Amino acid sequence: MIAQMNRRQALLGMVGIGGSVALAVTAGAEEHPAHPVAAPDAVAMLYDNTICTGCKACMPACNEANGLPPDTLLSGGLWDMPTDLNSKTKNIIKLYEEPDSSAFCFVKRQCMHCLDPACVTGCPFGALEKSGWGAVTWNSSLCIGCRYCEVGCPFDVPKFEWNKWNPKVVKCEFCYDRLKKEEQPACTAVCPTGAVIFGKRTDLLAKAKERIAGSPGKYFESRVYGEHEAGGTQVLYLSKVAFDKIGLPKLGSTSLGHYATKVSSVVYKWFSGPVLAACFLGSIIKKNWNRHEAERPEREKASGLRDQL
Amino acid sequence: MSARDIAGITLINHWQRGVPVYREPVVTPTLKVLAVIAVIGLSLAAARLFSPLSPFSGMNDAYAWGIWKTFNVMTLTALGSGPLALGLAAWVLNREKLHVVMRTALASGFLFYSTGLIALGIDVGRPWNFYNALLPWRWNAHSAMLEVAICMPIYCAIFLAFETLPMVLERFCYTGSAQTKATLRRLFPKFRRIYPFMITGAYVLPLMHQSSLGALLLLAGNKISPLWQSPMLPFLYLVAACVCGLGFVVFLLCIACLRYSRPLDVAILSELGTLLSGACFGFVFLQLADLAIRGQLGTAFRFDEMSVLLLIQVALILVPGIALRRRAARETPRTLLNMSIFACLGGMLYRFIPATIAFHPAPNATYFPSVPELLMSIGYIALATLAFGLAVKYFAVLPGNIAEWNYMFRRIGRTQQPVLRTQ
Repeated sequence: MIAQMNRRQALLGMVGIGGSVALAVTAGAEEHPAHPVAAPDAVAMLYDNTICTGCKACMPACNEANGLPPDTLLSGGLWDMPTDLNSKTKNIIKLYEEPDSSAFCFVKRQCMHCLDPACVTGCPFGALEKSGWGAVTWNSSLCIGCRYCEVGCPFDVPKFEWNKWNPKVVKCEFCYDRLKKEEQPACTAVCPTGAVIFGKRTDLLAKAKERIAGSPGKYFESRVYGEHEAGGTQVLYLSKVAFDKIGLPKLGSTSLGHYATKVSSVVYKWFSGPVLAACFLGSIIKKNWNRHEAERPEREKASGLRDQL
Repeated sequence: MSARDIAGITLINHWQRGVPVYREPVVTPTLKVLAVIAVIGLSLAAARLFSPLSPFSGMNDAYAWGIWKTFNVMTLTALGSGPLALGLAAWVLNREKLHVVMRTALASGFLFYSTGLIALGIDVGRPWNFYNALLPWRWNAHSAMLEVAICMPIYCAIFLAFETLPMVLERFCYTGSAQTKATLRRLFPKFRRIYPFMITGAYVLPLMHQSSLGALLLLAGNKISPLWQSPMLPFLYLVAACVCGLGFVVFLLCIACLRYSRPLDVAILSELGTLLSGACFGFVFLQLADLAIRGQLGTAFRFDEMSVLLLIQVALILVPGIALRRRAARETPRTLLNMSIFACLGGMLYRFIPATIAFHPAPNATYFPSVPELLMSIGYIALATLAFGLAVKYFAVLPGNIAEWNYMFRRIGRTQQPVLRTQ
């Protein structure tokens, strides 16, 4: 190929490569920084499993606020009895028991409302978006049902209605409609013990750290889960048991959106990569095409047949 | 132009232009079997349009992508990347010899892509919202899924279809009415004027979406085994597409010429073999360098399930890379065929594994495609195979000797072709 290229094409190629590097360097603020910073008005939930008694009051409250049907599969049609988050359950209290039954604790699961959510990064038409106060919400009129959110979410939160012809993506939306009415989410509003509380993220983070400082050795690793996980989340956890045991995965502090887009955001910045590739390939193709066309009468004469493309 | 005879096949340079298969009957037992499989698959696909996904697939919330996406789209469009790989070789690297086999690549590529897109259309849960693709202000420019969802249909319906069009229209230059012939005569110069620009698009677009298919998996993060999860996934997916594309064209040429008793062309196959060898070496080098840089070489040789899978995949691509460096191997049809199968399998494994076997979304989650899911997947493949079998008979797809060229094309509807060379 190199031998076939003339000086002008080589120069064009170098200008192309140089240009894309220059574009990359001068590109503005990143949309997916490695360590996103929460908006000043970002809300949060703080769940502390040393306080939770497992009364599950938050579960029917969630179902009621979101108009969800009870999941009665395991209870013989009698009462709500989900085993995990599913297309009828946006919020669940689960019990963790040590294999030797020496200790147990509860864990509340719902959307973590990441600061830079993988589901939002991957969603092709922005059906999932970071709405006001940082709530991650789903818009039915933009969703094509590709389920990339389920593949991307590191917490396995979004669920799909596999049994419906008009399927929805079901996930906790931080009771966004209640937030708009200046009410707190149903689960925090109903929690009788204060195991899960609602507030500004900065306030709750400070409160969680106060609790850790107040009782050294009480909390696992003396840290708040969600402060840095996957770039930081707006649901924060304090636990007496190892986080990965209660289903909160070990994750790095870099946002997945940053990892997934750090190269493509450069290549596709102002569509420069494809345009430069088209210019570069196009100039070579045009030259080769012109020669191919110039030789066409000769080929047609030799074969006596119309040239084929 | 040395004539040699190996295993009964005369290896002289026989491929001068696309020539339809004249003598074979159209309706064969194979065609009937394929038609039955395709009809079953497509009927299920049609039924799925009126039903939720759950009765038709074994997918679940953990394994939200089944074989329709991971096999029919992510894996098989790699085999359908022949037009990209061969096109770049022919028009950019200026391998003039390869123009004659472009049509085989184009027909197969178009069929892989179009059946893949059918699979995708049946797979998405809310297809009616796809009109959003026409409203650019709703696009999430950071989503690899957006890139795939928009780029792939445009490529298949516009650019790949444009490239495939000449071999369809050619037929009517010979069989059409005087008026059709006159229209085509007016059309072709215009066609040739935009051709170089269209094929540029036809190479840039797959460069974009074939790499974006790999980029899809980046967001899955550590759900994918560290042997495959890498920032290099998009680029490796692209190179794997070239390995598969070249490998599949070699495979298809050998198989089709064997099936229709066409002589082979040693010069062109050898050229393809050289390119395939280069692509294989390039791929293995990049994959191993990536593993080394990420410090995963130790994991690669741990000989557990994932490591063995990786080593098999690397071997499947490395073996043809080494074998096809020898001229004698490139000029032996049997070796070439075997090595092209290895390369295709290796490339397919690389594209398939990270989205399925090496994808561990949740501790207790499992997925195996259900029977209707498999039937639909196989149905799409049967449809493409059947369509290719018809294309080689009605259009000048397969390369052949110019002496075989018969000015008459097989009449549509007539199964036997008793025509003689006229002019």
